[in-house]
Amino acid sequence: MFEGIPIISIIILLPLIGAIITFCMGKYDKYAKWVAFGFSLASLILSLFVVMEFSLNPSDSATGFHDSANWFDYQFYESYAWIESLGISYTVGLDGISLPLFVLTTLLCTLSILFSWDTTNRPKQYFGLMLVLEVGVLGVFTTLDYFTFYVFWEVVLIPMYFLIGIWGGPNKDYAAIKFFIYTHVASLAILISIMAMYFESGAASFSMEQIGTATYTGTFQVIVFAAMFFGFGVKLPMVPFHTWLPDAHVEAPTAGSVLLAGLLLKMGGYGLIRVAIPTLSDGALDLQLLVAVVAIASILYGAILCLAQKDLKKMVAYSSISHMGFVLLGFATFTQLGIVAGVFQMFAHGLVTAVLFMMCGVVQHHVGTRLIPSLGGLAKTMPVAAAMMTMGFLASLGLPGLVSFAAEFMVLASTFETWGLWLFLPIISVAITAAYYLWALQKSMFGPLTNKIDTSHVHDMNWYESVPVGLLLALTAVFGVFPLVVFQYIDKATALLMTLLGGG
Amino acid sequence: MAVWDILQSFIPQLVLIMFALLMPLFDYLLDNKKWLSLIALAPLVEVLATLVAWLFLGWWSPPADSEIDLLEFNTFTGLFMMVFIAVGIVIVLGSPEFIRPDRNQGEYYSLILLAITGMTIVAQAADLIVLFVGLEIAGISSFALSGFRKSEKRSAEAATKYFVVGAFSSAMTLFAISLLYGVVGTTNISAIGEAIWSGSDWIEESKPIILLATVLLIAGLGFKIAAVPFHMWAPDVYEGSPTPISGLLAAASKKMGFAALLKIFLISLFFIKADWDIAIAIVAVLTMTVGNLIAVSQTNIKRMLAYSSIAQAGYILIALPIGTQYAVAGAMFHILTHAFMKSGAFMVVAAMGVAAIGEKLDDFKGLYKRSPFLAFSMAVFLLSLAGIPPLAGFASKFVLFSSAVYGSIDVGPTWLIWLAVAGVLNSALSLYYYARVIKNMYMEKGPEDRIRVPPLLFVSVLVALVMVVVLGIYPTEVINLFEEAAQFAFPSLPWGG
Repeated sequence: MFEGIPIISIIILLPLIGAIITFCMGKYDKYAKWVAFGFSLASLILSLFVVMEFSLNPSDSATGFHDSANWFDYQFYESYAWIESLGISYTVGLDGISLPLFVLTTLLCTLSILFSWDTTNRPKQYFGLMLVLEVGVLGVFTTLDYFTFYVFWEVVLIPMYFLIGIWGGPNKDYAAIKFFIYTHVASLAILISIMAMYFESGAASFSMEQIGTATYTGTFQVIVFAAMFFGFGVKLPMVPFHTWLPDAHVEAPTAGSVLLAGLLLKMGGYGLIRVAIPTLSDGALDLQLLVAVVAIASILYGAILCLAQKDLKKMVAYSSISHMGFVLLGFATFTQLGIVAGVFQMFAHGLVTAVLFMMCGVVQHHVGTRLIPSLGGLAKTMPVAAAMMTMGFLASLGLPGLVSFAAEFMVLASTFETWGLWLFLPIISVAITAAYYLWALQKSMFGPLTNKIDTSHVHDMNWYESVPVGLLLALTAVFGVFPLVVFQYIDKATALLMTLLGGG
Repeated sequence: MAVWDILQSFIPQLVLIMFALLMPLFDYLLDNKKWLSLIALAPLVEVLATLVAWLFLGWWSPPADSEIDLLEFNTFTGLFMMVFIAVGIVIVLGSPEFIRPDRNQGEYYSLILLAITGMTIVAQAADLIVLFVGLEIAGISSFALSGFRKSEKRSAEAATKYFVVGAFSSAMTLFAISLLYGVVGTTNISAIGEAIWSGSDWIEESKPIILLATVLLIAGLGFKIAAVPFHMWAPDVYEGSPTPISGLLAAASKKMGFAALLKIFLISLFFIKADWDIAIAIVAVLTMTVGNLIAVSQTNIKRMLAYSSIAQAGYILIALPIGTQYAVAGAMFHILTHAFMKSGAFMVVAAMGVAAIGEKLDDFKGLYKRSPFLAFSMAVFLLSLAGIPPLAGFASKFVLFSSAVYGSIDVGPTWLIWLAVAGVLNSALSLYYYARVIKNMYMEKGPEDRIRVPPLLFVSVLVALVMVVVLGIYPTEVINLFEEAAQFAFPSLPWGG
């Protein structure tokens, strides 16, 4: 269907064109949301076509690029020279690992734009920046050239900095600059690592195919993997480099939080599994224990901090740290099951956390505060919101039948396979997670109606809020019951990856 | 021969000098002083067109080797000349509105043309004496330019300071040149290199004198490029000078110092690299770190940009200790991109000055509403200075820093990697103060009256903006050209890329 059509580039370019139009709308800025929604929806629809066209057996695919000797098997492959003298190209393609994240991106961006339908403060810049962000994230998830990867990676930072800094909460200045500097320092560690691999490999090319399959010496691998682990880990985020995240989330506008937690954190995990681990597999194996310890620390520390939070949104932010720890733990096992589970957890967390942050936004918007002690009994005035929030929280705490359960269960299973009874450490967090979610739910939504705030004007969710949340919840249920729909893609690609890691 | 041959290499300068001498006359003849800037633009555009026709289009080429060994004409010199001329165009375009109320506008333009003449001579010099003459022509013209508003105390102070420091550094440079001449018996740049390479007994015996000359050169030229610890004059001078002149000093005058440094250290003194590379590496790291650290605490935009220029000089300086052709290409590329980013940023400040807005960082508050174009351009320049892709500053920093990584892996000592690490950390640090300006422009509320951007200033900012974006997205051609230039001008260096 897409033979000869650069479909990935079109999907990346659409939001960019939309962004330029949105920025230039002048006084017609009340239509900015329509333009933004239209372009992001177009990308979403095209990306769904891509899913349908995506072949489970890559060698059947007419748009594919196959180099089976080098675990290099991509579909919808495009490659154009960019800076020839340095061997830099613009190369994009999809495999089973990037496909779910790719679709997640177009989906969440479209829904976030819809969710922000009532934005009236500088709307053309707001929606334009959202589209620029989409371009950056889509680029990160599709590019197959390390240099281009870094370029897209950095492109994501700037719109997010503005989204937090302009439309954020009271302490936005601090949060925006902290986010910007923190993640920029991390990116620079990645940049130096990429440079080092480029020169050490001697391939004179930045393409993943060349650098990714070169052989590196032992010490080099350990040093560079450590640098990359730091770079990607900050984004993930991992303890102890997580402190930018609660600040950024608490201050960011709702849609910004959704994209931050739903997509930007995934970039960290994706970078690990796409760049760091396959390229430097020996270094990664040497540091396996470190990765696992950091993962478990993130899981437990994030969960414990959730217990202490009074702000609903801050609690969800810390829960992200805990849940992204599962991604890292899955990767740390270096088994096929673990890696598949880690990637699937990224996808699942993207869906679920988007719901949670949207619900936080709904509460903030309709009630005027997110402080759990001031809330209570809201189910009486906003029943739909209460139902959706309940389902979102249940999905996030890993209720069987919803998407996170499948992912977390597989991570824990692979942990047991690799480290046996050490499993008890991450499993504690399951109990803690249930505790903080249920308590928060009980205190904010159920029980007697609060008298600490004026609830007379509180009304239920607007259509542009309930539609995205409802859709996401439906997807959580669908993928919870049929995880195999997503699994099969990830599994196939991971199997190829495992041949490189030398495992089975 | 030969007069014609000599003249041929010298034609660009002749054109510039002729116009420089005629400017006061035009000043006398014309009532509307605005036309002066267009007249001053003519020779710059002419030379730029010639250079572009040669470097990019290949319509002609200069005589392969001229009979005299005073001036040389190769891609290296051509590219440096192009940087100087391009900055000159941006500055001249931006000047008329800025100096509208001033007297002696003819002299203003003729001094700019002379300063650029001096810089091109430095780029072309194949001989230390010629190089020194170029440095002096550019230097003395800039002293006068920075004091152009002589009734303004700040401007007069800047000129005095600049003059004293400049004279001092010239003296040191000249002393170093005379020491080298005393030892080697020639002032030809490559002949000095060959003599030192020959390693005769005489050279061995007089090694201390050569080292003394090296130290003096680091100090003398270090003043020119405002490397730490020779940087104290720069912020005062940049702040006090008329804004377009600050742009000229930061974007072009400094680069002249680099042209001289690259030639002297990587040709004449390359064979004693082991004796000076750590010293310059330390100076480079100090320069970038001190520049960035002090920039953080600035409240005046021109002082902030001045310290950021100091930091950028530190980045460029790492090319010397790396000492590969690829590093030189990176340094030249960064010199080019920095010229556009910095002159563009100063032109935005100048445009705000025309609209009677101050130079404090707080004056930038809410700029996006008052002039979306200025705010957007400034944001692009600052992000590019911080090295955010896909802007020009990222591309050039990438080449520069990656040359350090390669140097440490393959050709040079392993400590070179720390130059890349220092540069990268400093880039992150610099983002902090650049982001603050962007924050003020976009995230703070300020006065809401619109600013009218004068058309010529608009064009000059636009030229810089387009270059910053285009060089960032499509740097291929330029990188190739710089690599070629570096290979041609520094044949004895390892390739390293």
